[in-house]
Amino acid sequence: MSERLAIEELLHAEHLPHLWCPGCGIGMVTGAFLRAVLALGLRREETVVVGGIGCSSRAVGYIDVGTVHAIHGRALAFATGIKMARPEFTVVVITGDGDGAAIGGNHLIHACRRNIDLTCILFNNRVYGMTGGQLSPTMEAGRRASTAPYGQTEPAFDLCELARAAGATFVARGIAAEVRALEKMIRQGIEHRGFSFIEALVPCPTEYGRRNPPAGAVDMLLSDKARAVSVSEAAAMSQQELQGKIVTGILHHDSDKSEFQAGYAELVARVQGNRGTLGGN
Amino acid sequence: MAQRSFLEVRFGGSGGQGVILMGVILAMAAARDHRYVVQTQSYGPEARGGYSRSDVIISDSQIDYPELQGIDLLVVLSQAAADHYVGLLRATGVFVFDAERVASPPRFRGPSYGVPFVRLAVEETGREQVANVLTLGAVVALTGVVSAQSLRQAVADVVPKGTEEWNERALSRGLALRAEEWLRSNA
Amino acid sequence: MERWHYHALQEAIDSSTLLVQGNRACALGALDAGVRFFAGYPITPSSEIMETMAYELPRVGGVFLQMEDEIASICACIGAALTGTLAMTATSGPGFSLMQEAIGYATMVEAPLVIVNVMRVGPSTGRPTAPSQGDVMQARWGTHGDHPAVVLAASNVADMYRLTMAAVRFAQRFRTPAILLADEVVGHMRESFSTELIGRYRLTSGDFDFTPSYVHPEMVREVHPPHVLGSKTHPHVTGLMHDETGFPTDDPAKSDQFLRQLHDKIGNHRDELCLYDVKNEGKGRVCIVAYGSCARSARAALRLAEQEGLPVEVLHLYTLFPLPVEIIQEVARRVEFMLVPELNLGQYAREIRKMAENWTTVISMGKVDGTLLTPREIVDRVAELIGKYESV
Repeated sequence: MSERLAIEELLHAEHLPHLWCPGCGIGMVTGAFLRAVLALGLRREETVVVGGIGCSSRAVGYIDVGTVHAIHGRALAFATGIKMARPEFTVVVITGDGDGAAIGGNHLIHACRRNIDLTCILFNNRVYGMTGGQLSPTMEAGRRASTAPYGQTEPAFDLCELARAAGATFVARGIAAEVRALEKMIRQGIEHRGFSFIEALVPCPTEYGRRNPPAGAVDMLLSDKARAVSVSEAAAMSQQELQGKIVTGILHHDSDKSEFQAGYAELVARVQGNRGTLGGN
Repeated sequence: MAQRSFLEVRFGGSGGQGVILMGVILAMAAARDHRYVVQTQSYGPEARGGYSRSDVIISDSQIDYPELQGIDLLVVLSQAAADHYVGLLRATGVFVFDAERVASPPRFRGPSYGVPFVRLAVEETGREQVANVLTLGAVVALTGVVSAQSLRQAVADVVPKGTEEWNERALSRGLALRAEEWLRSNA
Repeated sequence: MERWHYHALQEAIDSSTLLVQGNRACALGALDAGVRFFAGYPITPSSEIMETMAYELPRVGGVFLQMEDEIASICACIGAALTGTLAMTATSGPGFSLMQEAIGYATMVEAPLVIVNVMRVGPSTGRPTAPSQGDVMQARWGTHGDHPAVVLAASNVADMYRLTMAAVRFAQRFRTPAILLADEVVGHMRESFSTELIGRYRLTSGDFDFTPSYVHPEMVREVHPPHVLGSKTHPHVTGLMHDETGFPTDDPAKSDQFLRQLHDKIGNHRDELCLYDVKNEGKGRVCIVAYGSCARSARAALRLAEQEGLPVEVLHLYTLFPLPVEIIQEVARRVEFMLVPELNLGQYAREIRKMAENWTTVISMGKVDGTLLTPREIVDRVAELIGKYESV
């Protein structure tokens, strides 16, 4: 079967066309995710994708594995419950910058801290698309939004730095314009045993581009690409040279840290093994 | 007091004195004596200091209303608790207090007994923490509110590992308190 | 199951009586009912439920999680429930408020789930160690939109055990979240608790089937087919209005049908869901209608009233929602007054009034000072009512 045909098998054809706008980058990264699922040969019955609320989270409605369209900001909490109840599942969270970093920011840092074996793909379009272009915590200062008509005055989150500092053991960033690289990062993220955080920068011409130049989808993709530098290139650059750049690639990878679910399973084995000698409560 | 078919007991003191645990141990002992029992408590947000009280109802039939409507036996380890609760003692009740921690015992017309429980605990074991168990032993010896055997078992069930010996010594000291050690008034 | 018997007996006094704390009894009831997943966040006065689960769940191979907040706690429980795992969380007012959105989600996706709320005096931080029944209408209407609710109320330690079991059973049978309310005093008190009760209320295996996709045969027409993660259907689950396929729909007819079915599966089974007990049945001119700790005050008041020659009966409600319409109206037809003592300012009295006012006079007796209503206070009010009636 060709890759294209195989990917169609992973989609709910009856629910297409999708609701994303022309030029939106979410479909590109969703495609990268599907190719990664295919390449890894994941079984549908044991693969669960959880989304929150927002444009990117809607991807779960098109993907034909077990899918949960959760409530706003809580996809990681749902996913934690699913993974702990069924450790054999591959559980992936698809979220956005508003869902994952604003309302769901607390769950993000704690999922990182636990290093639970989930893969979180955060589609960062730097704006609230579904609700009409309001500002997001990843929007850079000076940019405009429907709730920042005079320009964003707050600094933006660096979500990869946040994830790494909070304890995630696989942290990567990619851009929609380099979608094959993203696909590889997602594949590695799913394979990594521990919490994987992948930030995918995607253009939103409808709500971001129309208020902030460059406006068109292609120009937005090219703009991100022009700013992108790889991890190895960045290593040779000064802080000043890195200003305004987007560092892409695998930013952090630690295979030694204990994974949460495995740690819990060990605890259960220890407690059950020692049942006769444990003290009362 | 052992013969009463319905008995309301209050332990009062400040946080950290083990007052809540006194109620729990007495309730466990009463349950071991095959009686219906309800234990409730009230305390401030502080883990140490503040106020603390623990109530036990012991009955021969199902207990409906779970809180005290009067006090038959009041045991207090602080002046504030003594002042606060003595007014709820029934005329037929018994008042027991720490003779040093309650420097000026409030007036009560029924039998009142003062013993320096905390000092005795320190003298016996070197540890103030077991004053609650010593007090319970003394109260049971005085009133027979539960059987000594059930009390011993209840204490053994709840005391933390590593403290069994001190608690056992404190309990025995309390149970064996001599008549002349009770400072009795108003009898 | 026998294992749990053993743990329950750790505090045993003899073969038939134990001294157990209400919150601990709740946890033991959950474990005996098959709950194998608990996610929670510490909060007074419910924390002992969580602490007991933290100790016991690993011993039976279950999952215990302390999450970052109450929202995460209930969402993790829903995630587990979607895989067919029996899950429970426990909290108090502030945490219960945070859980409301997710309770609506669980209702919408028909996820079986038990939520225990040990009530403190509120609003806001209120008085964490004082009893209240202030969250009754929140339990009914806390989450947004038209939704059904299953809400039980515990009055003593034995209730904490058996009503937790009942909540698990209702949640699973009706595929919906079930809420158990307890007043702080019920959660924190220790009480002699007969192990005979454990035997009597332990659910027989016939009541339960833990197969994730299981639907009780009698409920097949009334609940939507469960969408279980990990099954061959690899389903889609969403809080958006959806049809029986699980996928979103904006179709007015399907939307209407779906919402009505959610309500009907509860409302059509009041005979099974509504648990109550009548004392001194048919002998009262005044019926004291009470739940939670107030039901204990009411029972004590009944004894006092009998001594004083006042004709009183007591209707003790264990199920607050769905509304026990039938028994309320049956009693309303025969008594002159229904007196409703509550540790709130008349939340449930208003519900009773709606059901009963055609036949009787419903009197609310609320108390919100953080102390219990005493039997004396209730009897005095009864005497006043009867006296007033006689002087008319």
